[in-house]
Amino acid sequence: MARQKSLSTTTLPQNELAPRTLILDNGAHTIKAGFSSHLTSTPASTTACHVIPNCIARSTRDRRTYIGPDLTTCADFGDLAYRRPVEKGYVVNWEGEKAIWERSFLANNANNDGSELGCDPAETNLILTEAPNAPISLQRNADEMVFEEFGFGAYYRTIAPALNAYALSLFPSTPTSPSGVPLECMLLIDAGHSHTTITPLYHGRALHPAIRRLEIGGKTLTNRLKELISRTFDVHREDHLVEEIKEDVCYVSPSFTQDLERTWKGGRYDGREVDSSVVVDYVLPDYEHIKRGFYRPHDTDAMNLRNRALGIGTETGRREHVVTLGNERFTVPELLFTPSDIGMRQAGLCGTVLQSLDALPEGLRQAYLANIVVVGGTSLLPGFIERLESELRAAVDEDTVIRVARAEDPVKNVWVGGARLASDEVVLRSVMVTRQEWAENGEVWVRRRFAGKKGRGTHRVEAYLTLVGSSMCIIALHKASKAINTTPARIPPRLIPATELAFSRCQVQGSSYLAPGGPTHTPSPSRGTAASPVHCGSVSLFGGIALP
Amino acid sequence: MATGPLRFRTPHIEELPISQSRQSAGFAWVAVSTAQDDPAKNWGTTNRKRARASLGGQTEQQKEALSARVQRETERKIKELNSDNSRDVVIDIAKKPGQSTGGALKAGKTTGTKKILASGKTFAHYLDDEEAEIARTGRRDGDADAPAAAQRASKTPLARRKPRADSSASHSPAPLVAPMAPPPIPRLPTTDSSAAPIPLDGLDDDDDEEEDDEDRVPRMPTSVEMDALLNAPPLTYNQARSAPPPAGMPPPRRFCETCGYWGRVRCLKCGAMTCSVLCKDEHDQSRCLKMYA
Repeated sequence: MARQKSLSTTTLPQNELAPRTLILDNGAHTIKAGFSSHLTSTPASTTACHVIPNCIARSTRDRRTYIGPDLTTCADFGDLAYRRPVEKGYVVNWEGEKAIWERSFLANNANNDGSELGCDPAETNLILTEAPNAPISLQRNADEMVFEEFGFGAYYRTIAPALNAYALSLFPSTPTSPSGVPLECMLLIDAGHSHTTITPLYHGRALHPAIRRLEIGGKTLTNRLKELISRTFDVHREDHLVEEIKEDVCYVSPSFTQDLERTWKGGRYDGREVDSSVVVDYVLPDYEHIKRGFYRPHDTDAMNLRNRALGIGTETGRREHVVTLGNERFTVPELLFTPSDIGMRQAGLCGTVLQSLDALPEGLRQAYLANIVVVGGTSLLPGFIERLESELRAAVDEDTVIRVARAEDPVKNVWVGGARLASDEVVLRSVMVTRQEWAENGEVWVRRRFAGKKGRGTHRVEAYLTLVGSSMCIIALHKASKAINTTPARIPPRLIPATELAFSRCQVQGSSYLAPGGPTHTPSPSRGTAASPVHCGSVSLFGGIALP
Repeated sequence: MATGPLRFRTPHIEELPISQSRQSAGFAWVAVSTAQDDPAKNWGTTNRKRARASLGGQTEQQKEALSARVQRETERKIKELNSDNSRDVVIDIAKKPGQSTGGALKAGKTTGTKKILASGKTFAHYLDDEEAEIARTGRRDGDADAPAAAQRASKTPLARRKPRADSSASHSPAPLVAPMAPPPIPRLPTTDSSAAPIPLDGLDDDDDEEEDDEDRVPRMPTSVEMDALLNAPPLTYNQARSAPPPAGMPPPRRFCETCGYWGRVRCLKCGAMTCSVLCKDEHDQSRCLKMYA
């Protein structure tokens, strides 16, 4: 089918990229949006990223409809009905999504007050993220909408986990790489709103057979908390309120059974004292005097509670609605680790990670277990990382090193990665698809291009070299750790690129920490020269160990 | 006419005497199918006590039927938990007050986008469509099987066909016809035991034997394997879902419906678990009847 129509007159010449790139992390709960430019030398910081609620909300009390960023101006969140265009992580309802995008950052909207995100699509590149394993027709719809309807000049659609590889590494032993160079291997756990995805990444590309999805996300937790609170106080219609309660009060307990014991009121014949350190009273906002709910330790005196409900003794002198939250605090996030609690037949987070690793060759297991990065809003729950680490620790061999880290800003980390990718012109040029190309080659071509099926001769080549060459380094490290046997070997066994060993920056320090050199991948494959440094590198490594 | 086991409890049958027969009593023995007699027609009672007490007990099918109902209930509850919009919300995107071109912009600029904007499909529809297409054609659109259809039937006999040299050198992401040749790098063998690990043996020869098994470092994948992994097509939505935990795991934990502690007693009427007598009383008063009525 010919596509001659609707090519706007302001398309750029094919080899030119627009000066600015708009990076849109299109999530189910919020959109993270901001600009980045490959013409400036420094990549954009997180302050350039705006978090926009990705929903259309209708308030029956105000009789107003809030689209996207308007929600921050809403004063009364009570009884707010949400409608989300993103379902299960994928944009399904483009009508709603278009309204939100237009309201947020398209310059042709007259109501674009005060937002720095206004832009002209024809002169902006777009990096759009989506969840992995999208149905093909949804991918096709997204491409068509971006090019035809909004009219962006060039565009790159990727799965959200892949952009995290371009963000800075979280483990102190990995030196910083320049922007545009992805981290070598990373197991990314994206604990998002609709679901939790586990994606192993290799040089910024996803290993598709090993991507697993656990269908518990922030949304499930919020709905479950709604049900539990509704046993005493009906909150089925108060999405926003319950989300706030969840963010304030819920945590992941390191030992579920112990905490459950502490919050039990006891049976008829063996009543117990409730542990006030765990049980809290949450004061609900009434949006007139109390704008935001807060909590305090449980007040066991029933008279006090009743007085406060009547308005006696409160700070504002008005009635207080108080909800007591005991084991809901930790049974709700427990769903992430044990979905069978509500009857869902899926393995918990730890089990899903192991399933994902089983789909990879055995040699990569250690590498990925040592580089686990957690992003996503749900990972902000206190105790999440510790619990994940302890469960993984109990499930794998004693020898394997496990490092789990949460991004500094789990909500914006994907955006930060995208910003760093966009600030490197070479990489940007290689991934962007312009409108000309889309019009000439069609949608199937574009989709395969986004999936990474470029022509041969790109940077895949030296990637294998490093992987293979570093196999010996892994062997070396393993044996070396046994030989030295001083402190429990905390050698980070990430794959050390062979090219860096040649510079023999590895030193075996007294505390047996290894500081490997960082990856500096040159775009042109240096195959012949890199072969010999591998041997030199390994010899120098052992030269270091021979020293006392 | 009675031809077989009848379903009626009180059949009315009149046997017309065709031949001379002696006067018989004004009734006839009829086979009535009871629950015990015909297991195929017995769908299991919901009254568990009767089911347990009935002769022969419950067959596998009946147990399956009962637990299927329970399963459907839990599935429904989970779907509700995972639903995006808490209730059926219909929010019209009101006409924005500064909109000059109004209707035309709202509908979309091209026919394709108009269709996308106007379609009311939900995610479940898209998923079903995709599953149907996979079931029908066996592949997804745009994946590696596409070239098989794109290749025109060549009239050159097989013996005379020249090898297509251009496909391996093309830099376009168009689907390739020939399988990709492995990248021509000097591949270092992964088990290169000749060069590097020679100094290693000297380091740990004291405890060589017992550490041999634990010390075995798994083999790194070859470049061909990594290539295959990286270029593998993405999984479908259902394939990527996490699998159920292995069967050896402990059964799912049950909690009290009233307070959230461990569930210990099960309500006879509705099957809900509660933890203690206090919670059970509360359940009986307020929650049990809701499920019943």
